[in-house]
Amino acid sequence: MKEKWNEFTSAVRDSSWKVRLSAVVMGGGQFLYGSYVKGILYFLLEVCIVLYMVIRGFEDIEGFFTLGTQKGDAWLGTVGDNSVIMLLMGIFAWIVVAGFLYLYQMNIKDAYHTQKMIENRKKPLSFKEELAQLLDKKFYITVLILPVLGVCVFNILPIVFMILIAFTNYGGDIVPPELVDWVGIANFEKLITLSQFAPTFFKILGWNLLWAVVSTALNYFLGLGLALLLDKECVKGKAFWRAFPILAYAIPGFITLLAFKFMFSYGGPINQMITASGNAAIGFLDLDAKQMARGIGVLVNCWISVPSIMLLATGHLSNRDMSLYEASRIDGAGRWKQFQKLTMPFMLFATTPVLLSQFIGNFNNFGIFYFLRGGLYVDGYFLASDTDLLINWLYNLSIDNNYYCIGAAISLVIFMITSLISLIIYVKSPSYREEDTFQ
Amino acid sequence: MKKKSIALLMAACLCAGMFTGCGKDTEGAQAAPDAQEKEQTSVVSTVFSGELEHDVTIQVLENDTAVSKGYFAELIEAFNEEYAEYGIVAVDANMNQYLDLANDGPYGYGPDVLYQANDIIMQYAEGKHIYPLPVEKMECFDQIPETAWAAYRINLGGTAYTCGVPVNVQAPMLYYRKDLLPEDWEQVWDENGNKIPDMAENWNAMYAFSVSRHQEDGSRYGYMKSLYDVYFSSGFLFSYGGYVFGNNNTDPSDIGFSAGEAEKGAWVLSQLASTMNEECIDDSITTNAYSKLADGTYFATITTPDMYSTFLSEMALVYEEEGLSKEEASAKAEENLVMTTLPALPESGDLTDENAAFFDAKSMGGINGYAISAYTKHPNACLAFVEFATSYDRMVRRSELLGVAPARNDAADTAGGTSQLLYDNLEAGNIVLMPSIKEVSQIWTPGETFFTDLAKDAFRTEGEKKYTDLDAMKKGLEAVDQQIYDAIFTLK
Repeated sequence: MKEKWNEFTSAVRDSSWKVRLSAVVMGGGQFLYGSYVKGILYFLLEVCIVLYMVIRGFEDIEGFFTLGTQKGDAWLGTVGDNSVIMLLMGIFAWIVVAGFLYLYQMNIKDAYHTQKMIENRKKPLSFKEELAQLLDKKFYITVLILPVLGVCVFNILPIVFMILIAFTNYGGDIVPPELVDWVGIANFEKLITLSQFAPTFFKILGWNLLWAVVSTALNYFLGLGLALLLDKECVKGKAFWRAFPILAYAIPGFITLLAFKFMFSYGGPINQMITASGNAAIGFLDLDAKQMARGIGVLVNCWISVPSIMLLATGHLSNRDMSLYEASRIDGAGRWKQFQKLTMPFMLFATTPVLLSQFIGNFNNFGIFYFLRGGLYVDGYFLASDTDLLINWLYNLSIDNNYYCIGAAISLVIFMITSLISLIIYVKSPSYREEDTFQ
Repeated sequence: MKKKSIALLMAACLCAGMFTGCGKDTEGAQAAPDAQEKEQTSVVSTVFSGELEHDVTIQVLENDTAVSKGYFAELIEAFNEEYAEYGIVAVDANMNQYLDLANDGPYGYGPDVLYQANDIIMQYAEGKHIYPLPVEKMECFDQIPETAWAAYRINLGGTAYTCGVPVNVQAPMLYYRKDLLPEDWEQVWDENGNKIPDMAENWNAMYAFSVSRHQEDGSRYGYMKSLYDVYFSSGFLFSYGGYVFGNNNTDPSDIGFSAGEAEKGAWVLSQLASTMNEECIDDSITTNAYSKLADGTYFATITTPDMYSTFLSEMALVYEEEGLSKEEASAKAEENLVMTTLPALPESGDLTDENAAFFDAKSMGGINGYAISAYTKHPNACLAFVEFATSYDRMVRRSELLGVAPARNDAADTAGGTSQLLYDNLEAGNIVLMPSIKEVSQIWTPGETFFTDLAKDAFRTEGEKKYTDLDAMKKGLEAVDQQIYDAIFTLK
């Protein structure tokens, strides 16, 4: 850090007046050093950004802090401020400012670089040559510039927006035309201090972790097992058998879930068979069916997710080095040993990132219990049922009520939990620690 | 070079994908420079000056059934003809019924006139997304009962505004099969000799008949209904003094599912559940009621009047399978299917009480109506459309084509039958209108949980039963009130 600072101060001392001109008027130095087109382009960029800031940028940044001062009234024809749009445009203005600062330092660096080239009696690159570089040495810039801009506007902006919502009072009664305000960490305080929350939160968190671990492990090993089974030479008509799980995978998840809900309902075919055989109907998913409903959820999730793991594993298994298996067989290793020492390490190495995404997907699996057993609040839980995951609870608490700010705050908490777990698992995984093993 | 071209192409695709969300900019809401000076109280007369806008197109959002059954096309055709000299044209807004006027309206999207249930319309009224209307000056004003107008009234800044015009009444109706009555019903099941079976007149008879029908044949049932549905089950609580919100459904801090003797209503439901099978616990009966009533497994059920045609078609199908021609089957179905208002309830709540005194049952209902978007640029043309659509002729036609009960007295009179019964029930206060405040969205899950538990209780073993007496039911309902309160206020 200190080295960088020293480098910077010596560059400042060493820079010519032409470079310093670039610090005031972008492109000025380049222009004076003879890079006319580049100089003009930098200048035009500065003009555009200044114009944007004057026309609306400063106003948007001010709006970012105030989130509006004039309430709208459609009856009186008063066009009010829309706090949500103001927040969005404010974030956009900050992104533009950040982009400007990046271009600004690029411009100074470039002017200084040109100065150094001239001092070393080298000819600065012409605009044509620099353009040519964009298709050669700096091709990555050409390819990435637009996607990066797109990512800033369409990915980073909404994510930052969601995070910032957690620090406002947006939601409930405060929706446009009402004006939204910044409330600091009040939403997080609310989550911690509300006495009803803590017991339910920990009960649901415990079940959520168990669910994520069990369902991820089951999906993974069943998918792998199915892939290994269908990889066996003795299995006839592999393509035919593989088609079935793919069919299950191809049907939209919510349709599968509704079908399972019907199957396990009191009027569904399973209970029809049970009652037809003279037994009493079973409430597979009803109010008292806590553990059974959880079990059904795990199985239904397997039905939906195992095919994707099977397909993934089928692909990876075809890349195995079969000579290793041959060698281990000669050394006396049985099938279980081969699975333990060869197949699993190979698969874990290749699929840990997928495993992590499965874990996060399962941790935040909203659909399973929403469709199978939604619409219930169970005793001992605060506005939740005993099969609800944190994401379902979040839905009950926030979206049902339109409490977007609380929803955003709980989302942040969930994000912290899942990212922490994912990071720990990933850092400890062979994919990270033994990166070169299979390369 | 080839690789670079591919990379460039991929980058271009990625960028193109990102811009797919971009669209035409909105026109923005109209700003009136003198808006701040206007007095809120004069908003109605200012907006609705009476001067029709000329050569304008108004977008109307109608009910899906009205569109599919051709009523809406007929309505706009008639309106456009009537107002051709002004150049006013009404068109189908052609959008999903569940619009988001609050978010889309300010940016120029959304219909000019909308037809929705009172609770939906009034949620928009709270945010001033729909205009208050000069209803007192409208031709239909005196024909529509005060209860219906009240569902569209809101108090803002100390002034009461009416933001919608009631069109039709929705409330649960009893459906039963006349041909499934016992042969000797006139001797055994018509105590007062009025040629109406007792089971359609009081719940005690319905209960007794359900028990005897199931005893005769284990695969057949009397009255069947999924209990979890708050819309249908809460009426039993209201009949005994329960309510949703206090102060005429406007105070969400006063929740009254357990108020009065509402536990007696829960008891009635519990007794009815005991005559059904486990399918009353979840939505199985709601799903299969049409086919099971048609094949004679069920004798009776309750649902909304707009389902009449579905029951008819199912029954006709069964008759056709039995060998009747299409016309004969339809005629027989119409003859045998009866739709009527709900039976009376015993004051004691005991369905086995042989000397019970009965009173009219209440039910939860709703009023669908028209409203005008506050973002319309042609309010007077919109008002003309609403006036036209709520005229006597149009309401009668609507009722004829769609089978709905008009909210207008004269139209209900003409329509007769069920429409008249529903209108009378509304006027008598037996239809408790769904609250028009947004907090109503919080009543469903707690209510569903309680009713599901109550239904399940009928099938629990003696030792496991939770609702063994009225006190336990009262406590259960109080828990519902608390859950609703928590859902509304915890995060406020």
